[in-house]
Amino acid sequence: MTAHRVLGVIDRAYRGAVEAQFFDAVYGVLDFRAQLGEVALALRGPAVTLAVDEDSYRPVLDLGGVELDTLPDYRTAVRAVVTEGIPVFVDEADLRALGFDPGRLLDGVHCLDPDELAARWSDYDQVWFV
Amino acid sequence: MAMLEQRRWDLLLVLTAAPHSTDVVTSALRLTQAVLDEGGSARLWACGYSTMLTQTTHGAAKPRNTRAPDVEYPSTVTIARRMLQAGGGRFGWIACTACSAERGATRHIPEVRLRSPMRFRATVDAANTTIFIGGA
Repeated sequence: MTAHRVLGVIDRAYRGAVEAQFFDAVYGVLDFRAQLGEVALALRGPAVTLAVDEDSYRPVLDLGGVELDTLPDYRTAVRAVVTEGIPVFVDEADLRALGFDPGRLLDGVHCLDPDELAARWSDYDQVWFV
Repeated sequence: MAMLEQRRWDLLLVLTAAPHSTDVVTSALRLTQAVLDEGGSARLWACGYSTMLTQTTHGAAKPRNTRAPDVEYPSTVTIARRMLQAGGGRFGWIACTACSAERGATRHIPEVRLRSPMRFRATVDAANTTIFIGGA
């Protein structure tokens, strides 16, 4: 089977917590990579914040007297993607528009000028808007 | 003639936005929990695709996470059940019958009260405060 090179573009960041849990916007990328061969991830718009590093937020809620600690943890998800060798690109203009410096990004994430990011589309067989 | 006194609720939350879209479902449950934690009473009226949250077809747990197969992720049915149980009658979950029928979401857990949209005004009148969280 021929490998597909796919660039997954994520523009919309937050898609629920309690109802989604592990099945966040980034989760599917890991399994798709196993099927397709080669996948890269481009974060744009509000989704750039998924790759901003911080360590104070704990995705835990107390509902009905039970601690719900299986909520989406986007930064951990992006870290997992990077750890597995999947390239993660962040749109620099969108990042700066939200007040973040590229130095705030998780290690291993590539910050690219929007024009450069768009120019990379042709490196892939398909571009998916996830 | 003796009049039946209608029960009053501190808060009615009307949730019309779809799950898996934004923060609305989580926010609605957090607001509800905050009211319950203060000793108040709350009702959640689920409209639109939020009627999907309490379908028996969810089962107790979400599908397996291929990256963490041993972790148990509670379904929204389990979360709703826990809240209803812990609420001890101070929390009620209503599903709109019209929205449920239109979406084929007609297999609610028995703890959920089904109510026709024709009863919406009466439900609002029974609450001291109504918050309508739109976005359907």
